[in-house]
Amino acid sequence: MADADSFLHLARPLGPAAVGSQPSTAPLSIVLQPQALFSILDHSLRRNQDQERVIGTLLGVRSEDGTEVEIRNCYAVPHTETAEQVEVDMDYQKQMLALHLRANPREVLVGWYATSSELNTFSALIQNFYGQQGDGTWPHPAVHLTVSTVPGQDIEARTYISAPIGVTPERAADSCLFIPVPYEIKYGDAEKSGLEMISGAKDREDRSQEILTDIESLERSIEQVLEMLERVSNYVSNVLDEETVPSSALGQFLMNALSLAPKVDPADIERDFNNHIQDVLMVAYLANTIRTQIDLSNRLATAALTMGSGDAIGGPPGAGGEGGNQKNSPENRRGKGRGQNRPQEQ
Amino acid sequence: MADSAIRDTPLRAVQIEALVVMKIIKHSSQTFPTIVTGSIVGMDVNGVLQITNSFPFPTPDIPLSDNHKSNQNLAAAAPRAKGNIAYQNEMIKCLREVNVDAQNVGWYTSTSMGNFVTSCTIENQFFYQKEMNERTIALVHDVSRSSQGSLVVRAFRLSPTFMAAYKEGKFTTESLQKSGLRYQDILQELPLTIHNSHLLTALLHQLPAKPPTTELQFPPNLAALRQDPSVTQMPLAPNFDSLDLSIDPFLEKSCDLLLESIENHHTELNNHQYYQRSLAREQTKITQWQLKRKTENAARVAAKQAPLPEDEWQKLFKLPQEPSRLEIMLNSRQVEQYARQIDGFTAGVSGKMFAVKSNLLPGEAQ
Repeated sequence: MADADSFLHLARPLGPAAVGSQPSTAPLSIVLQPQALFSILDHSLRRNQDQERVIGTLLGVRSEDGTEVEIRNCYAVPHTETAEQVEVDMDYQKQMLALHLRANPREVLVGWYATSSELNTFSALIQNFYGQQGDGTWPHPAVHLTVSTVPGQDIEARTYISAPIGVTPERAADSCLFIPVPYEIKYGDAEKSGLEMISGAKDREDRSQEILTDIESLERSIEQVLEMLERVSNYVSNVLDEETVPSSALGQFLMNALSLAPKVDPADIERDFNNHIQDVLMVAYLANTIRTQIDLSNRLATAALTMGSGDAIGGPPGAGGEGGNQKNSPENRRGKGRGQNRPQEQ
Repeated sequence: MADSAIRDTPLRAVQIEALVVMKIIKHSSQTFPTIVTGSIVGMDVNGVLQITNSFPFPTPDIPLSDNHKSNQNLAAAAPRAKGNIAYQNEMIKCLREVNVDAQNVGWYTSTSMGNFVTSCTIENQFFYQKEMNERTIALVHDVSRSSQGSLVVRAFRLSPTFMAAYKEGKFTTESLQKSGLRYQDILQELPLTIHNSHLLTALLHQLPAKPPTTELQFPPNLAALRQDPSVTQMPLAPNFDSLDLSIDPFLEKSCDLLLESIENHHTELNNHQYYQRSLAREQTKITQWQLKRKTENAARVAAKQAPLPEDEWQKLFKLPQEPSRLEIMLNSRQVEQYARQIDGFTAGVSGKMFAVKSNLLPGEAQ
């Protein structure tokens, strides 16, 4: 995608119209979080049949000096576009912004998106609306993100900020100069597991993926590691057979990786291993014992009364049932004590 | 419309859009370890609940100096709060305008280490299934377990028997026997699948940039290899977090939680024993009274007087109220949840440990 593009940021062109109300066009970089991108794609799928593109508002956070913008969230805004005019539902935009800010007080308005890579007069008009004083992002520049969603072509995202342009105020209102700025897609550690799961479905016909259990995802990781090892060892043996060109850099890299393997005494490993495996198995055993005990306790509490329900008073059998529970609890306590000591010994 | 036919088929499965997964992860990891909640919208198609969008609930503003505990409770109770219902309705109205499936199908919550079987969760879900729509679910995203490598999101509903019991608010031993409700039946889990849209699939295929088509030159030295732009820094997959060998934090945390549950169980049992004892005490008093009244009546009959009524004891003595067993049941369910979690963890971890051992001691593998 556009990561590979190189950017040259030129000095801002000065528009005569916007003296005093001019947003800064200092260089900035943009970080795009995947959920915002996903949301834009979803909106693009849900557009009305006759609509060429849809637009929406971008929310996110700005760094203190305003040179880095992180787009975290976005929402759709209905608009209609004809050859002559464009209409954006301002009330909706305001209402939705208020609703979003209530749930995410830390996020601010940073700009807007459109789902076509075309920039036209309407884009400039909307851009000026988002960048204006008051409701807009002023004094920071509004970010415009275009995501092309043409079937059969790559999804291409681009980000722009704008500078005012035009000789008279009227002209300046519906025109502006879009300056491309670089962006990166970044995701945090928390999203890694989710993205892995989602990308697991990308090669499947039904585009869906069941939630994997711990052991299944472990299996998958191991398979992937094995595959990589296979590739590397293939390469190495090819080099040894003088079938492939050797590379000293790769050799050094592999050497460094291999030397990371710890040198430890086999006896130490044996001991540590045994200690840990015992802990693990013990906790598993205790957890299941506790589960059984609890189950038993529940069953006894209700079952004892079934036998005694013929009794008009029902007191003594009930007490018997609770007595059964009472017997369980010291057992539980003991199990508990052991469970507590184990992990702390390590 | 075949509305009635749809009503009749029970919910079989839940299909959740990748967008929703990401939104929930974002929302819950931002504020971790505080619990967050939000609403999910979607559509019910022949018993498969398709969840297509979600939005977070605003957390009530509380000054930071306030007690942390009360803050958590408020956040967890958010789905039932009056302000949030209004918020939710307003949001859904707005979403409808941009062609999002505007049907409220439930709520989501974040949790840590599977610690979600609480009365709060139950109350929320009960509220949803009763007030909003019978066909609603609760999505539970476990933040701390997801950070270990595999995503943990689960979908739950309350079972009909539990709903009936909860509606009456009666969880006495007697009513439990009658309904046959066990703690295992409180929550029903629905199978969950993640679904991607076509556009998203296209995006995923190009996200780690395509490998260059031309033959690459070998890097001249190590530094060049490290700076090579075509070596992707953050691929989506594989994710090697699940190969992590740290065992102790998980086990320690699990043990702590288990202990807490046992402690709760014990307190509840003590409550019940106290009840049983006071019940027995009252009952012996009643029998004594009845015996006394009988002999008195016998004496009165002998003296040709009208006998005194024998059921007056109902007015004189008050039987203690049986404490609700709901707490015990939820607690038991929570213990079950922990135990299963530990099972899953140990299964993986023992495998990893044997792998490491045979790797470091290759001679003893045979």
